Amino acid sequence: MSNHQVLNTAAHADLRVRTDSGAALGDTVMATLVVPDEFRQVQAHYPIVFRRDNESGKFTALALFGFENGENLFLDGDRWDARYRPLSIAIRPFLVGQAADGGSEAQVHIDMDHPRIASHGEGTRVFDEHGKPTPFLEEISGKLGLLHAGYQTSGSFYDALARYELLEPFTFEVPLSSGAKHSLVGFHMINEENLRALDGDALGALHTEGHLMPIFMALASLSNLSALVERKNAKESRG
Amino acid sequence: MASEFERLVIVGGGTAGWLSACVLAARRPELDITLVEAPDIPTIGVGEGSWPTLRDTLSVIGIDEVDFLTACDASFKQGSRFDGWVDGSAADSYYHPFTAPPPGSMSELLAVWKAQASNTSFAEAMSPQAAICDRDLAPRQRTMPSFAGALNYGYHLDAGKFGAVLAEHAVAKLGVKHVRSLVTGVERGDGGLLARLQLGNGTSIEGDFFIDCSGMAGKLIGEELGVDWIDRSDVSFNDRALAVQVPVESGSAIASHTIGTAHRAGWLWDIALPSRRGIGCVYSSRFLDDEEAESILSDYVEAKLPGTNASLLSARKLQFATGHREKFWEGNCLAIGLSAGFIEPLEASAIVLVELSLSTLADGYPHSRTALPKLADRFNALFRYRWDRVVDFLKLHYVLSRRDEPYWQAQRDPATIPASLAAQLGLWRDHPPSTADFPQVEEIFSAASQQYVLYGMGFPQPAEAISKADAGMRRRLAEVAERSRALAAALPSNRTYFDALNASLPDRAVQGVPSLQ
Repeated sequence: MSNHQVLNTAAHADLRVRTDSGAALGDTVMATLVVPDEFRQVQAHYPIVFRRDNESGKFTALALFGFENGENLFLDGDRWDARYRPLSIAIRPFLVGQAADGGSEAQVHIDMDHPRIASHGEGTRVFDEHGKPTPFLEEISGKLGLLHAGYQTSGSFYDALARYELLEPFTFEVPLSSGAKHSLVGFHMINEENLRALDGDALGALHTEGHLMPIFMALASLSNLSALVERKNAKESRG
Repeated sequence: MASEFERLVIVGGGTAGWLSACVLAARRPELDITLVEAPDIPTIGVGEGSWPTLRDTLSVIGIDEVDFLTACDASFKQGSRFDGWVDGSAADSYYHPFTAPPPGSMSELLAVWKAQASNTSFAEAMSPQAAICDRDLAPRQRTMPSFAGALNYGYHLDAGKFGAVLAEHAVAKLGVKHVRSLVTGVERGDGGLLARLQLGNGTSIEGDFFIDCSGMAGKLIGEELGVDWIDRSDVSFNDRALAVQVPVESGSAIASHTIGTAHRAGWLWDIALPSRRGIGCVYSSRFLDDEEAESILSDYVEAKLPGTNASLLSARKLQFATGHREKFWEGNCLAIGLSAGFIEPLEASAIVLVELSLSTLADGYPHSRTALPKLADRFNALFRYRWDRVVDFLKLHYVLSRRDEPYWQAQRDPATIPASLAAQLGLWRDHPPSTADFPQVEEIFSAASQQYVLYGMGFPQPAEAISKADAGMRRRLAEVAERSRALAAALPSNRTYFDALNASLPDRAVQGVPSLQ
């Protein structure tokens, strides 16, 4: 359920938003959308994988937090155990919306049914007592802007990946210390062999368009898969 | 080798006595501690405002912050606001917050502050805390670890309840023995040291070291040992107080600062707890009679808490002597609390002096008789210094005033100003207060405190501050402003905090016997 509203000073004058972490705040998610512009920060903590939408055939990138639905191995009670949280997680319960008249100008929307909407006076204010945005909203606006811009330019990134056949499906067997096995299926990753085979012209073109760095960041991020397995093992052994 | 002072006897069961029992039991578990308290003698709540030091003390003792807050009807104190002290006009108000100004040269910070075109007050420019106090916000969020805050804070508390919490903790958790009996006699031993207390119940109790927390009576330090009392009423005139407690409506705002409002012959305190406001009128009987004080108090209550019928509140009358012992530690006896000294609660110095006495004693608890005189000398020199600094600092609040009532003029009479304060004021015309003026590691009132009062009351900029504003200091003050905005958005109101805290507690209703059907 969601209840999207255009954020505005009058209607949301006293609005407060919870900025802490926890299962009750919608943090038990297995993955979240990430944009190529933030791959560098994301790869420091999370594996980046790609998924193809069956209908449109288009790719999106995801940061993985766990191996099954509802599993966030970075969430430890009320603590999110990583210094960077992807933009699409950090902006909640806000979102980028389109103006009702269909204009191209992006607006700040908010989901008033999100569990992060605070109801008892705790949480961080969005507007101050004079109706001015608080530093919190300024920070959120900055992140919404990055996410919006990152999303809009990601089309050319995926076009380039398709052009050079740089994505391949993969299956990851999750080896648990309990002996149990778990497979991660349905995702794509960077095809390292094809990447290595690219000639200088192709690499030059990818570099000029700014795609080379995110490609390597996505590739490097896969080393976080084993760290994620360790988190899973640690959690299972704790019971 | 075991200490020759293992058996510690504390006389008196007020805040000072129980705090002494808890701190020493926690920090010196090898001691055998007994607290003797006369039954049915009401204790004087020495103060309902603490310094941030109380967080450390509670943590050392092992009392959980949530338990403390709920059991003592406590709230957060982030400093004091002084209204009407400069000229008594409506705009006359300044803060002394607990969070210090940014690091760096105060001369340069002052220059940047003065160069700003806006009329930002000194406290507002130097610390985010003024903005937070203005909005009655808490210094922390509930999700933060216990005793941690976004801003420095202490507590406002119900002193009676605090004493009870400490007593229960001392006996149940820390193994302190509690004897309810009047002390009827004192016996001396070798070298005139205190050796044994005769009790009203016919028994007696032996001790190696004694702490006198018997209040103004000074049963051991004064009556028995005859240590002189040094009167400081020549500097600090106030000698009376009228105190009331006014219940507040649920949902009403809880101020995060003690409000001290000047009146024509003294000042009023106003301390907000979740369930009540403690309001008192402090005055000098030389300048104001009790009836006038009562009417000042009821005018204040009716103005600040409309709808309250002040005539229905029964005010408690307190008379006090301002001063302290010539020595606090004599032989094997240490005076802590009111037995050591008293001064008006203008900057809530009572509890912090108890805490400082205890940490000094616990750090250097005597082991052998040989070292006793040296430990006593060291303690006495340190606490004489501290009392002098307290007396000076409180006087500073009066000497910078421009009020013209006879009381206020008398406060500024040079004959009543200690030479040490007069010398400091002379120095501060050229250089702002700095750690060079207050070199002790644990200064009771740091240079930051002096700065807040001095520049809050409009003391002129020191000569050396002129044209020293540089970019680094400008950035520091810009950061303070930015942090004020961020904290004002992120912190809950005190009322919200305590409502949520109470709602989060397990049901405290008494568990009844299951009924048979």
